[in-house]
Amino acid sequence: MTGTEIYKRTATYDAEARSIRIHAPHWKVLLAYDGQRTLSEVAVSAETPFAETVTLTQKFLDSNWIAEEPITLDQYIKRMGASDITKTGAVVAPAVVLHDPEKDKPKPVAPPAPVLPPAPVAVQPPLTPPAPVTPVTAPVPVTPPPLPTTKTTPVPVAVLPPVAPPAPTKRTMKLSAVVDYVVSLVGNVSLGQILVYRVFLRVPPELLLAEDIASVHLSGDTSIITGEKLQKAIADAVHAVVKKTLPDSVFA
Amino acid sequence: MPLPEQDIHYFVDVTLTHLNKLTGNEITLRSPTIEFQSLVFSAYTGLLHLKGGAEGFVYITASQQFLSHLYTAKGHNGRASEDNCRETIGDVTSHIAQNVTKRFGTTLKISEPRIFSTVPDDPIEMPPAVYVQPVVWRKEHAYIVLGLASAEMSAS
Repeated sequence: MTGTEIYKRTATYDAEARSIRIHAPHWKVLLAYDGQRTLSEVAVSAETPFAETVTLTQKFLDSNWIAEEPITLDQYIKRMGASDITKTGAVVAPAVVLHDPEKDKPKPVAPPAPVLPPAPVAVQPPLTPPAPVTPVTAPVPVTPPPLPTTKTTPVPVAVLPPVAPPAPTKRTMKLSAVVDYVVSLVGNVSLGQILVYRVFLRVPPELLLAEDIASVHLSGDTSIITGEKLQKAIADAVHAVVKKTLPDSVFA
Repeated sequence: MPLPEQDIHYFVDVTLTHLNKLTGNEITLRSPTIEFQSLVFSAYTGLLHLKGGAEGFVYITASQQFLSHLYTAKGHNGRASEDNCRETIGDVTSHIAQNVTKRFGTTLKISEPRIFSTVPDDPIEMPPAVYVQPVVWRKEHAYIVLGLASAEMSAS
């Protein structure tokens, strides 16, 4: 499970609902599957750590109380924020908007991010000098989608002035998605969180601090990473520790 | 070779097990964090330095009220004094040290417990990242903090 799956409650659930006996907080998760929200959204909605939600989801799947809800291409594209390509008639799909600062703004109805109890004292050890901060503002170059390979007959055309290439689109990385992905690789949540720690031991702190990331919450972190260097450093660290490549779903 | 996850988690696990034993399984866990810039210290801290199979430190830091409750739970009467709090966190830290020694044997060298109030007298070197596990008991907080350095990085 990556967090992008969508589940809905089944007829079996409807038939058995009155006789189901589960840990009270787990009802919140079970009732959050609505065939619309992704697994990650269910976790947020139910205010339950993603890793625990994954475990519960598997349990509910095993009990046949929920089932995965497949979605169409149109629904997928809509979820990803792209235009409806079926209405354009274009041979080449229009560029997908990977980052829209307006859309990334926090919505007022979104639940508040989990907040740690305030630490009584936070001390920066005096022995360690602050690491040099490297600005990471380079845009991520995006390769346009490939042209169709169908054969065409050359037709003489008027020479037009060169068209400027589309502005490079910057991909953003959701830190929570990275955490959830790494945790999901281990069957045990606690060990998964330690695995995340091992990953971040390999990420240069100066890159994190350059993006104002002083800490990572292992449940429901809201940080968005825009710096290409930091994204690469995290991807490299994940690869070094778990020998896997980060899935595209970690990018917003 | 870096320690596997199970071994790293043992430092947290052994502390939680001991706290749960003292509190009658009333310890509640909050979501852990990874800190890159600063260490968290509460009123009293018991710290162990690690060398060998893992390099770094593990410590538990707790509020005075947390330790006061713990002191009472151990059968003492009255409000815990500063000495009582230091003694209580010292006991927890010694317990961690004994169990870690039992598990890792000579592959891991553990320092004598270092007990201090508020902030350490001697500076502690900040590793690239520290793992912080907050725990709550009777609305009071304590933090189990694990900072590993070269053991993990040596595998690079």
